[in-house]
Amino acid sequence: MKAMILAAGKGTRVRPITNEMPKPMIPILRKPVMESIVELLRAHSVREIVVNTSHLAPVIENYFRDGNQLGVHIAYSYEGYMTDDGLEGKALGSAGGMKRIQEFSGFFDETFIVLCGDAWIDLDISAALRQHRENGGIATIILQEVPHEEVHKYGVVKLNEQQRIVQFQEKPKPEEAVSNLINTGIYIFEPEIFNYIPSGVEYDIGGQLFPALVSAGERFFGVKMDFQWVDIGSVPDVWAATRKALLGEIEGFRMPGKQVRPGVWTGINVSIDWNMVKIKPPVYIGSSTKVEAGSKIIGPCMIGANCLVEAGAEISECLISDYTRIGNMATLDNKLIFGGDCISPDGTVLNVSETQVRWLVSDMRRVLNPSDIHDMMLFNNMLSFYGELAEEAEAA
Amino acid sequence: MKLSTHVQGEFTIAVIGETRMDAAVAPELKHQISQLLNDGATRIVLDLSAVTFMDSSSLGALVSLLKMVGNRGDLIIAGSKGIVADLFKLTRMDRVFRMADSVDAALGAVAA
Repeated sequence: MKAMILAAGKGTRVRPITNEMPKPMIPILRKPVMESIVELLRAHSVREIVVNTSHLAPVIENYFRDGNQLGVHIAYSYEGYMTDDGLEGKALGSAGGMKRIQEFSGFFDETFIVLCGDAWIDLDISAALRQHRENGGIATIILQEVPHEEVHKYGVVKLNEQQRIVQFQEKPKPEEAVSNLINTGIYIFEPEIFNYIPSGVEYDIGGQLFPALVSAGERFFGVKMDFQWVDIGSVPDVWAATRKALLGEIEGFRMPGKQVRPGVWTGINVSIDWNMVKIKPPVYIGSSTKVEAGSKIIGPCMIGANCLVEAGAEISECLISDYTRIGNMATLDNKLIFGGDCISPDGTVLNVSETQVRWLVSDMRRVLNPSDIHDMMLFNNMLSFYGELAEEAEAA
Repeated sequence: MKLSTHVQGEFTIAVIGETRMDAAVAPELKHQISQLLNDGATRIVLDLSAVTFMDSSSLGALVSLLKMVGNRGDLIIAGSKGIVADLFKLTRMDRVFRMADSVDAALGAVAA
């Protein structure tokens, strides 16, 4: 079997993270979800994978290169143009992207699987393929059962007794939903599917191709599979996925680094005086990160590589990306720190440069300027003054 | 900078009418509130419920106003929300200022 990974989306619901990183590259505890997908494909003997890229394509292409390091062959189908201002993506839609590859080389000359690059999964691909072959249709959609109140977030599918798909609903209201079986964005196709995809136009699998199959009376199927599906389609999803991984709630997820004490994992070359730092597990601390004495880290918490957590900093239930300096006065509670943005799980964004608090949180390689130092001293003085007052009041 | 004030009991309620409190409004903010202090107001509730953005310079202006008030009175921050509330918490200034969810809550808390 061959595979295609859909990686051309702009990831608008995951901004600002996707301003610098395409969605498939968003890591769950250091590993991009797309890397986990490639590993899963390989475990099921899928060795030839084409990836359609567009938004921030080089980030994906420079990471996976030709796939050799993961034991697979990876090729890219770039959707867009090079202009004087650089690359400008123009995505063709999921089905349009497939068609482009097929017209280029006829790559899909056998049964193939198509997956979105935006979820961590442990689908038994071999079992799904067997069911696809038994049913014998032109296409199979991998379905999952969700609680009825969650159907509004997904594409809903209705099957008949033979598992044939008879109806589609895009994000229906729970009271109008025809079932609680949802499209997971994982599909198995036969090459004949290309008869239904027009060439040279934007065309979507869920929104256009499947409705076209239904109206043409084509035989295609849905199979309900039981597997873990950890979506990272939005900022709250990214945070939820990271928490789950840290809490050990994703079965089979391999923690990065080594466990140095119960519930605490680190990379290598980490500088921490364990007796002088307060840590509540589960916590992951990346390689080459320094955690100064007198700081506090409350899990579930993930701190990236090459970070500096200064003495006095308090970090509670956060996801901190690489090369972040957390100043001594900072209190971070339920935040994602990403490329100079301090993001709340509900998606509100405090940009540390716009709010001029780079004296407190910034890239750890950045040199503080006089205005940073002025602010730092002003706020530090205030805090120590009022801190002492509070202590006096307590004593009295 | 848009600022409206009214007196309620022994409190002066100052309502910020700007959505953005950045370096452009910080000096004016400092000037207007210190004017209130000079005019004899000692217990001020600053209503930030209309503010959707604040930066370090405006927060710094509030800090220096708090210094001015010293132990002669109060400067209570009311109604901060979203990234404004985040900024207070991030910089620990929520431990320096008296914070209240709303003006009513501020007055209630002080009365209690």
